[in-house]
Amino acid sequence: MAYFLHLLIMAAITIPTTLGFNFVFGKGKILHFGHVGTAIVAAYSLILSQQVSGSWFQAILIAAFCTALISLFFSWLALKLEQDAFGILSIAVHLSLLAIVLNATALTRGALGIPGIPRMPGMETPEVFAIVVVIVVLVWIFFAWKLNASTFGRSLQALSEHRHHSEALGIRRSRVYAGAFLVAGLGTLTTNVFFAQYLGLLHPSDYGFPALIFMAMCIVAGGPGRVFGVTFATVVLILLKEGLRFLPVTLVPLSLRGPILLLLFGVILSVAVFLRRETIFPKQRSV
Amino acid sequence: MTQLLINALIAGSFAALMASGLALVYGTLGVFNMALGQTALMGGYVTWWASTSLGLSFPIALLIGMVAAGFVTWLSFEFFVEPFFRRHRFLPLVTTIALSMILDGAILLLFEERPRSIQFLNAEPVTIAGATLSLEQIVLIICTLIFLSLTAWVLTATSLGRKIRATVLHAHAAESLGIPSGLLYRITFILSGVLAGLAGVYQGIDQNLTPVLGFSITIKAYAAVIAGGKGSLKGAVIAAYAIALLEQLVIGVPWFAGTYISAGYQSTVAMVVIIAFLLFRPQGLFGSTTRST
Amino acid sequence: MKKFLSTLVASGLLAACVTTPATDETIKIGYIGPLTGDAVAYGKDTLNGIMLKVEEINASGGIDGMMIELIAEDGRCNGADATSAAQKLINIDKVVAILGGQCSGESLAAIRVAEPAKVVMLSPLSSSPDLTLASDFFFRDYPSDALKSVATRTYIRDQGIKKVAIISENTDFAVAFRDALKKDLPVGTLVFDEVVGPGTKDFRTLMSRLKNTDFEVFFANGQSDAVIGAMMLQMRELGISKDAMSHEVAESATLGEIAKDAVEGMAIISVPTAGVGTPLESKFEKKYGAPQATIAFVAHAYDAMGVLAKAIDAVGTNGEAIRAWLYDMKSYDGVIGTFSFDENGDVLGIPFAHKTFVDGAIVTVNDIAVN
Repeated sequence: MAYFLHLLIMAAITIPTTLGFNFVFGKGKILHFGHVGTAIVAAYSLILSQQVSGSWFQAILIAAFCTALISLFFSWLALKLEQDAFGILSIAVHLSLLAIVLNATALTRGALGIPGIPRMPGMETPEVFAIVVVIVVLVWIFFAWKLNASTFGRSLQALSEHRHHSEALGIRRSRVYAGAFLVAGLGTLTTNVFFAQYLGLLHPSDYGFPALIFMAMCIVAGGPGRVFGVTFATVVLILLKEGLRFLPVTLVPLSLRGPILLLLFGVILSVAVFLRRETIFPKQRSV
Repeated sequence: MTQLLINALIAGSFAALMASGLALVYGTLGVFNMALGQTALMGGYVTWWASTSLGLSFPIALLIGMVAAGFVTWLSFEFFVEPFFRRHRFLPLVTTIALSMILDGAILLLFEERPRSIQFLNAEPVTIAGATLSLEQIVLIICTLIFLSLTAWVLTATSLGRKIRATVLHAHAAESLGIPSGLLYRITFILSGVLAGLAGVYQGIDQNLTPVLGFSITIKAYAAVIAGGKGSLKGAVIAAYAIALLEQLVIGVPWFAGTYISAGYQSTVAMVVIIAFLLFRPQGLFGSTTRST
Repeated sequence: MKKFLSTLVASGLLAACVTTPATDETIKIGYIGPLTGDAVAYGKDTLNGIMLKVEEINASGGIDGMMIELIAEDGRCNGADATSAAQKLINIDKVVAILGGQCSGESLAAIRVAEPAKVVMLSPLSSSPDLTLASDFFFRDYPSDALKSVATRTYIRDQGIKKVAIISENTDFAVAFRDALKKDLPVGTLVFDEVVGPGTKDFRTLMSRLKNTDFEVFFANGQSDAVIGAMMLQMRELGISKDAMSHEVAESATLGEIAKDAVEGMAIISVPTAGVGTPLESKFEKKYGAPQATIAFVAHAYDAMGVLAKAIDAVGTNGEAIRAWLYDMKSYDGVIGTFSFDENGDVLGIPFAHKTFVDGAIVTVNDIAVN
């Protein structure tokens, strides 16, 4: 039971950030690979200010401000740079933020991480924690679903399908992009409000590139731009990732388990892309 | 100072080998191959395996390594690029990330986690103009330059090169002139893999091979390709050397009143400079300003 | 390639004998460590070390006739996966105790799951000083960096060294040690102190700067022998012939292979008997080939399993009883030395030794007393 509660909490915690990222990468088709960079800013600004002020409320406000700033920075980069360049350089921004966390040891304790993070008052037991997280996530899904169908969602889709046409029709790219990145930022902030306090630890190793690959997998498998699809895929992939722990040892010897899991995930991702090859990116070929 | 330049030349040659192959592929197909770092490791590891476990002489081992790297890239093209890139050129970006995970797993299974180093020459280091470098490095740098010039020569002066360039400029028009673009795609793709494999061997000789660094190699090489201008071989190579020099300068020279920038920020500073550069010149060093869709 | 196949067969056989014990009742022991990702070498070494011990125990009849069943979970060197791993091991497999995590980040996260469930965690590798006070249920037979840095200080003082240059890899293992060392050495001893990104292998420019620095000994503080090897090769290439030293990561036969002359004479501050040339090493190599990182990690893992088995043998499978037994334990005679645990679960009695490379082989010079 406790284990399933844990899986429920992990899935619920992960959903806001993938759904938020879905607006940029899935619906907006923006090659943004720096989403984990936003998560780093959200998590560290939150936990550091919580430790200084002792108040979660203040900490969330400060973190929201910092997350908004980094989101707007990404959005500005996305507008300024060509799409390919942004794709690679957003990874560079992520890795740079990670390098800052690792090196600014006086502030972040670097590679040692910040242990002993308390839970919010009243959320100490897993049951209460699960209930709170699930409620927050349901609200999030509803919000994302509404947003997806709103003018903003349609503008974002129009821009992704034909940028110049939609701009000619009066859609302001800069505003829509800023909106999409802010929503992604809000998603990752929501996730990170719960993540570190659930683990009781904030550690840079949780914010590496593999975290992004996992999110991209959720979006690709769930159907880019689809709210319920991505939610479903996130849950399934988390269960799958954990489910692989139950592979019988006789099939996969312990010492080969690691590489074989890597192989398996690679294959799953390629199959997901193959099945979705028509819809991940809109077809835009002309002779 | 001379030493800094030499250091940059050593690090830059490795990056240039990677970046030139990428620039070719990016120029012809417009696709990203995120598994190229792993391909480089494959090339390096197979060469190591052939020379250490099979006891073959270095040139033959190198040849086997290159064939392996080329073969891996050819397979990646057939299974992870070809079925996708015509639908959208960004699809291979995702599929090759999947491929990189598969190759990571395969490298761990085949070659284990231990560091490996390829034995090549064992000679005393020499000192040139106050800078120290080993004979191996001189050979490596010169070989890299030869390979790069050879590639550049093929591209500019041969019929094959003209066909590749024609395909880069307009694939459909080139095809209607009877240029077999499918074959050219494969050739450039395999060539990029061989160049990456060479980079892997370079790494194995100069430092050592470990199975976990594939991804950061790829990112650095792409930064060079983007900074150099889309698909420009010349641009990618120059950018690769420039980034390497920048990285050495960042930590090798005192910046603020005699204090040094912490070495942990070495790559960060280089990346920030590239971003700033691209904000001023979005098309890169030698790119053209065409409107993208 | 051949080794890979033999490993496959060997581990397949081993897995088979681990999972099909003589009786239905088994004693389940969990393992958490990095089986994928950048830190995979440490995970593999510690897991293999534990498997070796489990196999020996089972071959000699198990504990009270019950076989040990080892269940390994991938912690991927991060907190999130280590938490999931601990949740699964504790709530689904109902393990008696957990050997792990290996990365300190794994341990710090997993203990939050293990403590409320009253499951003892015994880490063979986590060295972060943060773990000293992390939990009542956390033990380690790996010395906290605090201790290793005392040994290093003793060595540096005894050698009459006044100026030390250090380059550290930015990983929790290496950085925690550097922080401890910085605290222990007299102010001004570290004349050159740089931290480089994880996995960096291009040290030439730092070494050029080092060449113009007035120092007596260079400390290569990397988390893997690959990085230490690159540091040492590039330092010697530049003609810096001053002394060098490192910690137990450098106690690796592979380092001798990849760096050859560059590590000749390098001082290694490590535990006394875990090293190259012990019976454990020959047993281990016969089974798994040379260690991925270093035999010292294997030895700590091997002894962690050993001490845990002894605890279970003495008091059964109750977590609190095991904890009490471990705290009370007078001493355990292991490969890494004769040790016990202090009131925080940190290891006591692991002495250190000064070793060095002679003709590519590692030999002990003398022991270093730390009280």
